[in-house]
Amino acid sequence: MLEIKNLHASIAGKEILKGLNLTVRPGEVHAIMGPNGAGKSTLSNVLTGHPAYTVTEGEIWFRGKNLLEMSPEERAREGIFLSFQYPVEIPGVSMVNFMRTAVNEKRQHQGLEPLKATDFLKLMREKKALVGMDNKLTNRSVNEGFSGGEKKRNEIFQMAMLEPCLSILDETDSGLDIDALRIVAEGVNALKTPQTASIVITHYQRLLDYIVPDFVHVLADGQIVRTEGKELALELEEKGYAFLNE
Amino acid sequence: MKVDYIIPAGQTRELVFINEVDMHWHIIQEAESVLKLHVICLAQDQSDAQWHANLTVEQNGAGCRTEIYSMALLHHYQQAHLRARVIHNIGGGYSSQVIKFVLDDHTKASFQGCLKIQPDAQQTEAYQTNRNILLSRHADMLTEPQLEIYADDVKASHGATTGQLDEAALFYMQQRCVDRATASKLLLQAFFDEVLRTLTDEGVREELNQTIENIL
Repeated sequence: MLEIKNLHASIAGKEILKGLNLTVRPGEVHAIMGPNGAGKSTLSNVLTGHPAYTVTEGEIWFRGKNLLEMSPEERAREGIFLSFQYPVEIPGVSMVNFMRTAVNEKRQHQGLEPLKATDFLKLMREKKALVGMDNKLTNRSVNEGFSGGEKKRNEIFQMAMLEPCLSILDETDSGLDIDALRIVAEGVNALKTPQTASIVITHYQRLLDYIVPDFVHVLADGQIVRTEGKELALELEEKGYAFLNE
Repeated sequence: MKVDYIIPAGQTRELVFINEVDMHWHIIQEAESVLKLHVICLAQDQSDAQWHANLTVEQNGAGCRTEIYSMALLHHYQQAHLRARVIHNIGGGYSSQVIKFVLDDHTKASFQGCLKIQPDAQQTEAYQTNRNILLSRHADMLTEPQLEIYADDVKASHGATTGQLDEAALFYMQQRCVDRATASKLLLQAFFDEVLRTLTDEGVREELNQTIENIL
């Protein structure tokens, strides 16, 4: 589904990713862990096409297409979803209007008719129930005045609405208490299918108790330096990243 | 200065000016009267229109309420210049000025907003905000907020900003399948909504929304 080869990327002239390789197949969950400044968020920004980042070398292929040639919205319509570490507040743009626009843009890309108002509202209801999203939140402007936990849940709600093939969860656990974390993780797990995959970027093992990864990668200084099964997360939790300096 | 309009005590008036080329109004409010005034510059088909508005509102009785709203969405070579003076002569009044301009292409606009609270106008509450978005590097906005406060027991604030569309919000919406042009449109509609929703007449509101949609 996703193949990253020898990826080098920089921001403001500073090289952050220095030859990263990663392959993700349908049905897989990949956790990416690593110390601060290793390049974890840069990876999610480069995958989604953030304009501040420049790819200087390497390739990214997504479902047979060259991802680096696509605009951010084309990548999203092709099925890449990023749950932002810091979701943006957009005063005055209602959740309903935003989601209707987003869903219909994606449908148009897939050659489908826009959803009828009644079908759209039905879809909203279904997905709200799936991720435990409160009505009072979907009646407001996008993320405006939401608590940290509400913003993260709203990300998972939008993910449910857009049904991506590849979801990237960037520090989705930050700012969540244990109950909110469990609800968010249940939402992610409920959306999992054999055709979809996830990349979970996290500092801590605790999210991985709920979203169990098939692979755990350690990202350090812009490269993946170690890849193992889910046990690696436990080891990192216990011993930290000291091995990187040995 | 010539007085053009008096709002009698206890009465409410809503005045809506759309695309007035050259307006000069001096309005006096008597006690407990309410004025809602809208100045809107929004023309789809005139590429070099120039609008000038010069407004003075005086609160001459106690307990008046003055709300001034203005919006402009300028393109091509259009210009909009608004000068608004709100003068509190007597205390216990409220006034707000909400001015929101969006400038594209080679447009120019200015806002001179004066808020004056006279010595006898104790316990006045007065606000002024001016927010402008520039969509082009050739657009030019001049904003001059001005507060003159001669009473000591008042609540007053003002703020003026001129900037671009929020890049973080645009990228967030692009990540949700929405192209940049549509995302910009959503942000601008949201920006104007604060002014539009204050119009009582739903028909006018609809019509203006449609014009905004067409221009964008």
